[in-house]
Amino acid sequence: MNPQLAGVEDIPGTYIFDIRTSNRTLKLNRFFWQMIGKPWRDRFESDPEQLMTEAGLNEREKELVRKRDWLGLIQYGANFFVLEKFARVSKTTNLEVYAIFRGESFEEFMKTRRVPDAR
Amino acid sequence: MAKIIGCIGTSHVPTIGVAYDKGKQQDPAWKPLFDGYLPVAKWLEEQKADVLVMFYNDHCTSLFFDLYPTFAIGVGKEFQVADEGAGLRDLPTIKGNVDLQAHIAESLVNDEFDMTIFQDKPIDHGCASPLPLLWPHKPDWPGTVVPIAINVLQFPLPTPRRCWRLGQALRRAIESYPQDLRVVVVGTGGLSHQVHGERTGFNNEEWDMKFLDLLEHDPEQLTRMKHADFVRLGGAESVEQIMWLAMRGAMGPTVRKLHQNYYLATTTAMTVVLFEDGAATETVGAAKDEVAA
Repeated sequence: MNPQLAGVEDIPGTYIFDIRTSNRTLKLNRFFWQMIGKPWRDRFESDPEQLMTEAGLNEREKELVRKRDWLGLIQYGANFFVLEKFARVSKTTNLEVYAIFRGESFEEFMKTRRVPDAR
Repeated sequence: MAKIIGCIGTSHVPTIGVAYDKGKQQDPAWKPLFDGYLPVAKWLEEQKADVLVMFYNDHCTSLFFDLYPTFAIGVGKEFQVADEGAGLRDLPTIKGNVDLQAHIAESLVNDEFDMTIFQDKPIDHGCASPLPLLWPHKPDWPGTVVPIAINVLQFPLPTPRRCWRLGQALRRAIESYPQDLRVVVVGTGGLSHQVHGERTGFNNEEWDMKFLDLLEHDPEQLTRMKHADFVRLGGAESVEQIMWLAMRGAMGPTVRKLHQNYYLATTTAMTVVLFEDGAATETVGAAKDEVAA
């Protein structure tokens, strides 16, 4: 256990991204990371199943991607900062993803913010 | 000799870049954010800053977890601003001073900070989101940038104290550069926010204010904190504030705050603060000395 992270397991709704997680989810995170390149995005749009197979995703990972299960992906070990690149491809804004993380509708979530118009 | 004339702490939220590009400077929801940067931009212009050293993190744009450096310094005459999936931004390439970057790299490594060197890599929003709010960019940027990337994504991260010491080493590097250059050190990220998991949307304004106060008056107290403390107090992604400790470590023991703006609109407490070297108006350190005497 990393002593810098002592006690972090008691913080709810928080998934620490460490080397162990990163090693287990490297292919999934690389798959999302590559979405910053247009050729990769185009290939995803034309044949997502083929691209996921080529990227080495396992069946559980493929299902999370197919369902756009944003919270499930985080719980599984996807890193948010590559996941948000996939959100762009899925035409979902970060604020919309945040609402889903919290189990709220977008409008409900924005009502909890100080400046709901800042988008 | 080069010298550090001040330092800036600033958020690097990608939405700042998006709002900037869309021209939302006068939009009521964004005006408080953009107006908060005007005094900082004015100060940089008046002070004729030649160089900004930017402590930032790459959000898996140019660097990926298959080889993710703890500390990395960019060397290059110019850097593209990265396309992170939403297209290229209408910004000129960021300019670099290779001789200065190389000198800083040499000085840091000889000072036992074993930096990774990156070259010819695009720079992501960690650096590029606040940059146009600090410096004008038409027709071109008024100076050069030294990008220094810190791993704040994949644990183990460098400790808060290690970042502080990196800042101290940066000061030695800059003060040993023979050319007269006026350097400003910028720490990016924060303040409180969490953008993953069910705890997304967490903020803590009280802690943010305490952090800003300690940063000014007693930064070494912050270097004794653990990463878990930052996660708990400010939300998971606020741990990136260790980059502000690198910035503060490059300053002298006492600093004077010239400006601060805090705007918590949606999920991140967007903050900018400007310090220059010199006695603070109300230093905790001085008060302690009086008690000791």
